[in-house]
Amino acid sequence: MNPVAVVGTGQTNHAKARPDVSQPELIREAVDAALIDAELTSADIDAVVISNMELFEGRALPELWVAEGAYGAGKPVFKVATGGTSGTSSCIAGFHQAGSGSFDTVLVVGFEKHSEGHTQTGMALVDPFWDRAVASGALGNFALSISQYMAERGVTEEHAAQVAVKARRNAASNPHAHLKMPDLTVDDVLNSRMLAEPLHLLDMCPQSDGAAAIVVASGNNARKRGSKAAWVHAAATRHDQPYLGDLDRRLITTRALSSAAASAYAQAGIADPLRDFDVAEIYEPASYAELAWYEALGFCNDGEAGRLIGTGVTSMDGELPVNPSGGVLSTNPVGASGVIRVAEASAQLLDRAGDRQVAGAKTALSTGYGVYAWSDVIVLRSEMP
Amino acid sequence: MADAVGRQRREVAVLGGAEIVIVPEDSRSIPEMVLEAVEGALHDAAVQWVSVDAIVTASVDLFDGMTASSIAVTEVVGAVMKPETRIAADGLAAAIHAVHQIAARAYSTVLVVAHGKASMAPHWDLTEWAMDPVYLQPLGVDFLTIAGLQANLMAESNRVGRNAPLGDGACAVVLSGSVPSGAAVITGTGHDLDAHYPGDRDLSTWSGLQRAAGRAYKKAGVSDPATAFAVAEPSCMFPHEEDLFVEATAIEQTTPLSPSGGLMEGTAPIVSGLTRLLAAARAIQGHPGRRALAHGAWGPAGQGHAVAIVEAT
Repeated sequence: MNPVAVVGTGQTNHAKARPDVSQPELIREAVDAALIDAELTSADIDAVVISNMELFEGRALPELWVAEGAYGAGKPVFKVATGGTSGTSSCIAGFHQAGSGSFDTVLVVGFEKHSEGHTQTGMALVDPFWDRAVASGALGNFALSISQYMAERGVTEEHAAQVAVKARRNAASNPHAHLKMPDLTVDDVLNSRMLAEPLHLLDMCPQSDGAAAIVVASGNNARKRGSKAAWVHAAATRHDQPYLGDLDRRLITTRALSSAAASAYAQAGIADPLRDFDVAEIYEPASYAELAWYEALGFCNDGEAGRLIGTGVTSMDGELPVNPSGGVLSTNPVGASGVIRVAEASAQLLDRAGDRQVAGAKTALSTGYGVYAWSDVIVLRSEMP
Repeated sequence: MADAVGRQRREVAVLGGAEIVIVPEDSRSIPEMVLEAVEGALHDAAVQWVSVDAIVTASVDLFDGMTASSIAVTEVVGAVMKPETRIAADGLAAAIHAVHQIAARAYSTVLVVAHGKASMAPHWDLTEWAMDPVYLQPLGVDFLTIAGLQANLMAESNRVGRNAPLGDGACAVVLSGSVPSGAAVITGTGHDLDAHYPGDRDLSTWSGLQRAAGRAYKKAGVSDPATAFAVAEPSCMFPHEEDLFVEATAIEQTTPLSPSGGLMEGTAPIVSGLTRLLAAARAIQGHPGRRALAHGAWGPAGQGHAVAIVEAT
């Protein structure tokens, strides 16, 4: 792919509800922050990509209404929507647009305002012939696949609780995060309400109102700017079979993620992910999922994820800090969550991650995930490709 | 720089495509309809599935009554374990994104697929949910009423029987950066989203189309649009929109518009623009040097526009 780079990022403060702003106003907050970060004005933006899952708000084509929040009126704008990967796929769409020669500067903004809709209803609107009758949303699916994952890979409730604690403690250093819990303990997680065996309340991501934006520059534009940039070294997408009976929903066989990772690592020359990445922002909708992704992303061998979290390898002072932002477990406006992964990884490389900065980060990983079947893997570096 | 339109870094060939016959109500499921279009497109393009690097689909969740509605077609478009991007806009916008992917050298051959099944629900009622929920939706305004407002401004009226009949459809097109000799190639694209509120727009023009076409002309090196096109393939749902189209694109009044019939033969939401790309490519193929203009539109009274310039080699 032709070289492109992320040159600015911006986020709202994410919360359970943001009744103080409308959907376009929510977007405007993130976009203005990203433009200031990139030292650009709205007039510099050539095209806009919007990410959102419209049925969570019960809307159709919401970009028609909200695009003006991204200064989109009179500009090339459309929306990318692929479930949980909407945000990362929108970022990749922005990379492709900026790399096509058509645009110098592309703005990508993702948002969700779960408080204005009914998320479970949106999630249950699956295939009407086969899957809708047994639609269980995120929880029931995860409970089944996680039980099997625990049996097959020896992961325990305590391991998962350690992931949940790491996420919410990291979030305490992130001014944008929704759930900040600096004093959370493993016991707190294990004693939190059981949602669906073995998932406790604190094992799951929240639903948040929020927006996030990145500014993508073409290679020539980023070089001309001469300032720091997070260069895109790889971007890979894989979609899998969606139907319940076809898709192997065991967490140990998330082949969409492992295949996307293999492709991205080959593009970017990543040989040993644990050593080669300085920081990772991965899309972990549940505590157990982060453990499974350690294995699928090659941070460790199969069956070693429990050891990785247990020995602090992925904590802020470990060999590979995973989700310094607090991750999806701390903040989850679905259409924005993937953009947040890329924004956070980019901010690390731009050395603008504040109290959650990983010192000297030069190579970063971002991933997107949606209902077992979708995965995006993105590799960013401070060095030009 | 805003509107700093660069050159598309790679020419993109329209290798082939197919659309299913549009009927008021297709008794098949969406995947069955799409499968026919995809198989037809791969056959027409003489491309094997293994040679398709990526897929771009176009659909709108509320129109399909399904969250992440691309899920319905993942298998039939052949996206299993391949990169798929879903654009929630007219199918020509999806094709433009595929052109971006190819020009960015991310992929070489991309399958573009759009589907729409208007028979599943009263389509215009659904579009009410795409209007701003604070000021417009409470008034019961939908895409049809805004189009009616625009027609009245132009001293015309929308009448049943004069509009493009909506039905169920699917279309698939194969685009590639490997350009065979004699292929129709896309040399320029442009898209645009206008302001949402009718009061913020001049409804007597399609200024969004003017901007989208301007971007496409600049990339394709079209300096005199009046004489540049052998044929134009507009996505006009209503008769008054043809006047808006001709004015905004600055094509000559005598340029043939959809000589093969176009949308007035029947069309489906989201599918229209992609069928226009296919028709434009077919109209000029085999006549080196001839150009055609393909157009797609979405939103109330053409809030969104997409334009592709196709040239025969």
